Amino acid sequence: MARMKFLCDAERCIECNGCVTACKQENEVPWGVNRRRVVTMNEGVPGQRAISVACMHCSDAPCMAVCPVDCFYHTDEGLVLHDKDMCIGCGYCFYACPFGAPQFPQEGAFGVRGKMDKCTFCAGGPEPDFSEAEFKQYGRNRLAEGKLPACAEMCSTKALLGGDGDMIADIYRDRVLRRGKGAEVWGWATAYKVPPGKGTPPPAAAGGSKS
Amino acid sequence: MHQRILGVLVAVFAALLLLAPGVAAAQTPALDPAIAAAAKAQQKQQVEQPLNNKPVWDEVRSGVPLVTTVSGRETNVLIQPEGQTWRALRNSWFSVVAGWALVVLVLIIAAYYLINGTRQLAGKPTGRKVRRFSAWQRSIHWATAITFVILAITGLIILFGKNILLPLIGYTLFSWLSILSKNLHNFVGPLFILCTVLLFFTFVRDNIWRKHDFAWIGSFGGLFSGKDAPSGKFNGGEKLWFWGGVLICGVIVAASGLILDFPNFNQTRSTMQVANLVHITIATLFMLAGLGHIYMGTIGMAGAADAMRTGYVDETWAKEHHEYWYNDIKAGKIPGALDAPAGPAGKLEQKPA
Amino acid sequence: MNIRSVSSVAILAAAGAMALVLSGCGERPQAVSYHQGSYSGKPDTPPYSDPPWNGNKQQWEDDMRQRVQNQNEYKRIGG
Repeated sequence: MARMKFLCDAERCIECNGCVTACKQENEVPWGVNRRRVVTMNEGVPGQRAISVACMHCSDAPCMAVCPVDCFYHTDEGLVLHDKDMCIGCGYCFYACPFGAPQFPQEGAFGVRGKMDKCTFCAGGPEPDFSEAEFKQYGRNRLAEGKLPACAEMCSTKALLGGDGDMIADIYRDRVLRRGKGAEVWGWATAYKVPPGKGTPPPAAAGGSKS
Repeated sequence: MHQRILGVLVAVFAALLLLAPGVAAAQTPALDPAIAAAAKAQQKQQVEQPLNNKPVWDEVRSGVPLVTTVSGRETNVLIQPEGQTWRALRNSWFSVVAGWALVVLVLIIAAYYLINGTRQLAGKPTGRKVRRFSAWQRSIHWATAITFVILAITGLIILFGKNILLPLIGYTLFSWLSILSKNLHNFVGPLFILCTVLLFFTFVRDNIWRKHDFAWIGSFGGLFSGKDAPSGKFNGGEKLWFWGGVLICGVIVAASGLILDFPNFNQTRSTMQVANLVHITIATLFMLAGLGHIYMGTIGMAGAADAMRTGYVDETWAKEHHEYWYNDIKAGKIPGALDAPAGPAGKLEQKPA
Repeated sequence: MNIRSVSSVAILAAAGAMALVLSGCGERPQAVSYHQGSYSGKPDTPPYSDPPWNGNKQQWEDDMRQRVQNQNEYKRIGG
């Protein structure tokens, strides 16, 4: 099996923040910690797009490279997980991460950082599977239950895909082929005006009419 | 009467009607020109190159603040590209140069010590003691020194521990040690700043730069000749350490350290990245200078450690290493310097310096 | 240097070049190599180690592939 990946289809994301809520609900993360967030570009103007972002489980993970205690590890599925017992809360992973994934619950006064918390791809952590310790520290271990990350599985528009990288890439490719066009489908050009000679209206919603 | 009220109502209504376009105009969002330009570029691209989404991804990678409903530090930044630069610099140049600089200086000092040994007094000690430091001066020196050493060791563990200590002592012990190091570093840091400020005002009067200090520096402090050029209470090297080390390095390390130590002021990641690199660089210089100071104050020169431990030095020591200071004492310009030590109880130390 | 030796050198050079070009078609492992740190913390069990898979990696992967297809609405609800 190839590595696990997330894919967010910016053309489909409707900024409902359902993934954010699903993540909090599933993993019962502490207050002030958001493992996933939705960021909107061009809010309120033509070209608006939203993207859901969390830990991307990098192959060459910057957090792993700068961690002073080496508390990160790669699983066979390519996930970047970490050992919270070892974490010292220095914040270096937060400096290095391009996606702003590492989060720190505040512990005590003066912004003292607690143990780093981040998206685990719903794969728990280095504690016995389904144990109380694992759930408290890392959240649900859905992968060991044969499920995929909660955020992706409950995404209402299926903008957020999670799972085997090759397979979700196939799903996305299939989708782009069917909607006939790539990036601009969502935009105003399609909704209100198709420039003469440029592109065609998206194929009629075949699935919807048939079933 | 009714007609008048009706007339007023009509007038108000008409005025509202007239105002309406103005209010509507005011309600259309005032666009940030940069955002408007980006949106325009995206629209243009959609018409000209329908499958090319470059402007969108340019914006994603730009690191500019966007919009999000999730609260938190910089949650509205989608991709932060500076992190990669910081990682590359910290993990390659900064840590490698800092590490080797420290190792090389320790080796140089060790070689110098093996060749020259401890510098002894040329003349015979007379047994008469001269008071060099008051109890307060010694206390503040040691308070600063101890906090400095704690910060240096814990800082080194945080920067190099995983490469050097982790393979040696294993997961459990290193995890425990690094959590301790981080907390010590964060809590002792502000204490060190306080000590440094007090130390600065305690010693600043005797550290004012004099002309003869150039001569001392010119002779490398007798590092190769084995003979000190005449100096006041503090020689050129000590003054360099005071101004360059305590003041300049101290201020920069303190400022960058405070930025990193108190992340509750919503400082951005790029601020903390720069602060971290500055902290590593200046702290390394501080430690290099500190190594020289510690060497000269302990095994490098006989009698130096006693001065800071007991507060007294031998007359010969004062004459050989700090001749001008010794002359001032002889001339009676420094009150209390010739009081004899009163044993461990230190009765005399209650007098002002 | 006669013509024969020149032509044999040319043949040799051509063969060498051919071998070099052919080597480009060789099969190399395409798997991503993760930059693994020197993690020495607690070991983590693989996700297929619990029931009902009990360490049957193949079965777990097949089930995961099945599960991923739930995200493909063209397959799920027909299209």
